[in-house]
Amino acid sequence: MVGLSDGEKRFIHGGIDQNIRSDGRKRDAYRPIFVETGVIPQANGSARIRMGATEVIASVKAELGKPSALQPDKGKVAIFVDCSPVAEPMFEGRGGEELSTELSTALECCLLGGKSGAGAGIDLSSLVVVQGKICWDLYIDSLVISSDGNLLDALGAAIKAALSNVGVPRVNVAGGAAGDEQPEIDISDEEFLQFDTSAVPLIVTLTKVGKNYIVDATTEEESQMNSAVSVSVNRKGHICGLTKRGGAGLDPSIVLDMISVAKHISEQLINKLDSEISAAEADED
Amino acid sequence: MASKHGAPPTTYSPSPTRKPHQPVFSDSDADWVRPDGRGFHQCRPAFFRTAAVSAASGSAYAEFGNTKVIVSVFGPRESKKAMMYSDVGRLNCNVTYTTFATPIRGQGSDHKEFSSMLHKALEGAIMLETFPKTTVDVFALVLESGGSDLPVVVSCASLALADAGIMMYDLVAGVSVSCLGKNLVIDPILEEESCQDGSLMITCMPSRYEVSQLTVTGEWSTGNLNEAMQLCLDACSKLAKIMRSCLKEAASASHS
Repeated sequence: MVGLSDGEKRFIHGGIDQNIRSDGRKRDAYRPIFVETGVIPQANGSARIRMGATEVIASVKAELGKPSALQPDKGKVAIFVDCSPVAEPMFEGRGGEELSTELSTALECCLLGGKSGAGAGIDLSSLVVVQGKICWDLYIDSLVISSDGNLLDALGAAIKAALSNVGVPRVNVAGGAAGDEQPEIDISDEEFLQFDTSAVPLIVTLTKVGKNYIVDATTEEESQMNSAVSVSVNRKGHICGLTKRGGAGLDPSIVLDMISVAKHISEQLINKLDSEISAAEADED
Repeated sequence: MASKHGAPPTTYSPSPTRKPHQPVFSDSDADWVRPDGRGFHQCRPAFFRTAAVSAASGSAYAEFGNTKVIVSVFGPRESKKAMMYSDVGRLNCNVTYTTFATPIRGQGSDHKEFSSMLHKALEGAIMLETFPKTTVDVFALVLESGGSDLPVVVSCASLALADAGIMMYDLVAGVSVSCLGKNLVIDPILEEESCQDGSLMITCMPSRYEVSQLTVTGEWSTGNLNEAMQLCLDACSKLAKIMRSCLKEAASASHS
C-alpha cells in the first residue's frame, strides 16, 4: 500500500499532464533495463531483470514428461510467479497469492497463445521427443525480489531473456520400442539445443492516469491509476495477448488507441531488450 | 428453478450428450457450419431469470445453450473482523464449477482465475462508495459448462447484483469471440473453444459505452482485433437489452 498525501498525488498527476514524471522521464520512456543471464546454475536457463527498483528473476527448468493424451504432439509449459515477502511485507503468508495468480494468468495469456497453439511465443511442438510418449515439460518460475511497479512487463522480459538462455539437452532415443513400451532414452550432457525466442512476445503495460497513459509506472504512479492495459506484441507487430487491470471502464476507442501506442513502443523496446540480452549472454561467456 | 412470478416453470432436459466428431476447421473449407448450426455472427439464445435462490439477497440464473450458470449475491454485510477499515465497500467474487459441469469429471478446477476476472469485470460497474465498511459476496456456480462460461457468468452476476438492489452505474454484459482459422465466431461453444486459435472477451457497460474488462489470447492483427471488438460490443448492447427486459418483467410481476 502506498500512502500519498494530497500534494504528492497532485504532483504526480500534474507531472504526467506536462509529460515530465517524478523521476524526470517522459510518459513513453522506460526506466533503464539491466539484464543478467545464467544467474541460477541449477536451472536450464535463467535471467535477472532490473528496471529501476523493480527486480525479478526468471528460471526455466526442463524435465522429461509425458504429453497429455489430448495433445500428443505437444510439450507442456507451466508458468508460476512467486511474490516473495522479501519484496513487500504484505506478500507474507497468503498475501501475495492473489497477485501471483493474477500475474501468472496474465503471463500465460500473453505468452502461450490460443488453445490450438496459434500465436504462442513458445513452439510447443518443438518440445516433443517421442510423439505421444516423451516430451519436455518447461517449468518457468519467476520470483519478484523487489517491487516498484510494472511487474508484468519486467516478468515478461525476464522470461524472454531466460528462454533465450535455455539449453535443453539433446535426447537420443534408442529405436525399437513397440506399442505401449516406453522407449529407452539417453540424455546427452554435452550437446544442448538452443531455443528460438524470436517469436516470444514482449509485454507493454500502459497505465492510464487521468487522461494520459504512461509506460513503466512506478508503484506510486500505479496507485493513482484508473486502469491499465497490458498488451503483448511480437516482432511481427501482432497482438498476442491483452489483459486489463483496474476497475474503471474504458471507452472502446481509447482501448484501440492504447493498443496502437503499445505496438509503437514495443518496436523500440524489443530491439533494446534483444541487444541487452545478447550483451548479457556475451558477458556470461 | 423457483420463479417467484407466474411464468410457466421452465424445465429443461439435458440434451443427450451427443459427441460430434471433432470438427475440422481449416482455412480451406470456408463454408463449414458450426456444430449447433448457427451462423458465425449469431449468438445462442439467451435466457435469464432473476430470483433463482430464495436465501440470497439477489440471484439470477442464465442459460445460453448448454452453458448454465447460477449466481447468488449476499450482502452488503459486515466485513470480516480481520479486514481493515475501508470507506468504500468490498466486492468478493467466487466462481466454482460443479464436478459434473465439464465433459471430464472435476475439470472445472482449472479455472481458478475466473474469480478474479469476475471481480475485475464487475468492480467498475458497482457504486462501491454506497456501502462503506461492508462486503458484497457474489457466488457463481457453473452448473454446466458449454463454452463462453466467463461472459455468461459476468452477465448473470450483474443481473443478480441488480436483483439484490446493489447500486450500479450500468448492467455489465459479457460476450466472447473465437478466432478459428480466418473466421471469427461469436459466442463459441465448448467444441469450438477447444480448437480456437485465439479468443477475445469483452465485458462492457453498454449504456455508458465503456469496456470494464478485456482479455485477448492468441495472435491477432489490428484489423482482426477491431472487427472482433466491434462484433462483441454490438452483441453486448443487444444482450443488455435482454437482461434489462428480464429485470423489468420481474419487477412488474412482483408489483401485480
